[in-house]
Amino acid sequence: MTDTPRTPARARLGRLVWRLLPFSPILIFGAAWSIYWNVAHPPLAVMPSIANVVGAVIELAQSGSLLTDILASLWRLGLGALLGIAMGVAAGFVTGLNKPLATFLNPLLVFFNAISGIVWLPLMIGWVGIGTGLAVFLIWNSVFFIVFQNTVLGVQLVPEVLEQSVRTLGAGRWETIRSVTFPGALPYILNGVRSGLGFGWRALIAAELVGATTGLGQMIFRAADFSRTDIIVAGCLIIGMIAMAMDRWLLLPIERRTVQRWGMVARSEGGRPG
Amino acid sequence: MSIATTANAPPQAFPSALSAVLRPLKGLRIVLPFAMVVAIWWAIKWHWALDDRVLASPAQVAIAALQLGNRGILADYAATSLRMMGIAALISALIGVPLGFAIGANRVVARALEGTLRFLQGISGVAWLPLAIIWFGFSDTTKLTVVIYTLVVPIIVNTIVGVRAIPENYVLALQSLGASRLRIMWDVYLPGALPSIVVGLRLGMGYGWRALIAAEMLVRRGGLGDLIFGARTFSQIDRIMVGMVLIGTLYIIVDRLLVQPIETMTLARWGVLRK
Amino acid sequence: MSGAVDKIEVAGFRHFFQSESGPVQATSIIDLRIQAGEFVTLVGPSGCGKTTLLKAIAGFIKPSEGRIFCNGRPVTGPGRDRGVVFQELAILPWRTVRRNIGHGLDIAGTKPAERDRIVARLIDLVGLRGFEDRYPHELSGGMRQRVAVARTWAADPDVILMDEPFAAVDAMTRLTLQEELARLCATTNKTVFFITHGVEEAVFLGDRVLVMTRRPGRIKAEIAVPRRTPGGRDWESFTADPEMQAICEQVLRLVREERGATLVAGDGASVVPAA
Repeated sequence: MTDTPRTPARARLGRLVWRLLPFSPILIFGAAWSIYWNVAHPPLAVMPSIANVVGAVIELAQSGSLLTDILASLWRLGLGALLGIAMGVAAGFVTGLNKPLATFLNPLLVFFNAISGIVWLPLMIGWVGIGTGLAVFLIWNSVFFIVFQNTVLGVQLVPEVLEQSVRTLGAGRWETIRSVTFPGALPYILNGVRSGLGFGWRALIAAELVGATTGLGQMIFRAADFSRTDIIVAGCLIIGMIAMAMDRWLLLPIERRTVQRWGMVARSEGGRPG
Repeated sequence: MSIATTANAPPQAFPSALSAVLRPLKGLRIVLPFAMVVAIWWAIKWHWALDDRVLASPAQVAIAALQLGNRGILADYAATSLRMMGIAALISALIGVPLGFAIGANRVVARALEGTLRFLQGISGVAWLPLAIIWFGFSDTTKLTVVIYTLVVPIIVNTIVGVRAIPENYVLALQSLGASRLRIMWDVYLPGALPSIVVGLRLGMGYGWRALIAAEMLVRRGGLGDLIFGARTFSQIDRIMVGMVLIGTLYIIVDRLLVQPIETMTLARWGVLRK
Repeated sequence: MSGAVDKIEVAGFRHFFQSESGPVQATSIIDLRIQAGEFVTLVGPSGCGKTTLLKAIAGFIKPSEGRIFCNGRPVTGPGRDRGVVFQELAILPWRTVRRNIGHGLDIAGTKPAERDRIVARLIDLVGLRGFEDRYPHELSGGMRQRVAVARTWAADPDVILMDEPFAAVDAMTRLTLQEELARLCATTNKTVFFITHGVEEAVFLGDRVLVMTRRPGRIKAEIAVPRRTPGGRDWESFTADPEMQAICEQVLRLVREERGATLVAGDGASVVPAA
């Protein structure tokens, strides 16, 4: 961190500090929280202690309800996202390869993207009731439109010269799509999937708050009824960890092995609805 | 020469037929797709003779919109939501942009905060809603907290991206001209990162608008989320749909008329390519 | 192959493209024949329609008038009998050098063992050994263009069409690439149609140099370049050869008549466009 030559001991210390640096906000925040809690002694209904939160996680894990809720949430997310991605990519390809169709559908895409997700909740409760169907619909809805829009964009932005060059090698329409259009559009598709999952994950928690009997969102909502702030905080932390794990172990490896390996960068931030 | 090639894209039979039909209707390009949706919607309503408590007809929705509009209710609810969004966007930018600069320009700050930031990004704002309700009650503060939390993270992240994308030569060139740190911040970092910041703002608005609607559903006390969730209680499908259309329209208006022009302006003006 | 059928025959070709103010004539009437094993170069000022002609032969655009034949069969679209090397980078970023070069063979369904043999030979011929498993973004501009050339050669088309393939690489690399191309053609005896706006490049590479007028272009002159000793295709002996220099001057004069104040000078490929 400094440019002056250092003794081995100082260098080791420097490395240690550098390694621990990412945990500093948590440590500082945790310390401040503990000090405040020990001075003010707020009731559990207002604020838990760190020990309370850890206790809540253990309690929930032991009763098995945590696993049930996590699995319920992940199942909904997986199903909704898978449907959304598959349909979004397919529809995106058909539309992206067909310019007049893309022009025709664009206003609809912009509009339905703007009301995707949670906005459908009141209407859908009436149609499908409370439960998995509702959550899956909202996730599908969030993922589908973003992936759709990004796929259309990606397909349209594949340089024409790449397609032409492969056609002079004798490639037919299908081979051109397979070897040029799909990989060419992949950065955009992945961008869409990534922000789609972001929207989907948020829609899921929101949907479960009011529209489910199980799931992490419902776990938090139930806890609020009994003023169990320890469970609420524990739930939030678990939600964050799952999202981070998905990003790190699912999306990042895919991106590393494709888009980054090929030296390509998507030129959009992806999740821009509209 | 290049004009010739683009004008002669590989021939496709179906699209050219479709475009021939569409060409005279250029002015209707936006209306036509929606007309089609309304027609399908109406057809569904008629064909299955759906009850009004399941699906309202387009006409009923239009009437409900007029009624709500005439009594000023619609404007009232919409104004509440928009005001919330405006305040939240302003506060988020004020917090997010400086923080993003600090992380983007400084290795140590980046190392310290980036991991936590990514973690917080995964906890959706709505998840904090129950805790926020316990602390701040069923109030505007609760809604604002949740929306700002949702908005601020994408702004920070994209500010970081913007700052890091600035070529080091720009900074070096100004340093060699004897510019101060503040000067470099103002002349290089801010304009250089602006397009990316606006991208972050747009993304944040996407998340934030939904978080606001969700928060309004739970907290009530006005806003479009309250409108559509309240209408649910009495199965007023027409009102719900009026609210949905308004939510979408307002979002598009804010996004297209406010945020996107800034984006295009900065991009077009400086010819900056978004990475 | 008998000499009776031309590899490429262009008869009465003329092309217009649509602009906002109506049709614009890209070329005047062009007739052209290329025989098997010939290396024909075409020089002309920017915008004269030479790329249009090449794209028409490749089958990317349909001629407004006239007919184009390859091996006596009318051209209806792109096909593997006519390989194209583009000016822009047109190799696929997501395929390694090896997989890019073998792409045409994959499409043709060549057996892997046979494909690998052909690819390995071409990798040697264009000097890319050791880079087989690199991705294009890891290569220099000159190496990428070598991959593009090798890919076209590997697919073994009847005719190879090249559209200013070396325009985007630096001057020194260009000289090397031109020598390599000459050697490659001498080894493989391919029929090549090569477009350029560099006079020396055209004379250095071509058995026959065609000169086009400014837009709407037509072929106004044809200069045969006498055969050189196969080993002597390098720039040192080319510039030392008075006969070659005389031909260059002749072509330069023909081109400059078209370009008014424009200069064509230097290494033969760099052109200062008209103001």
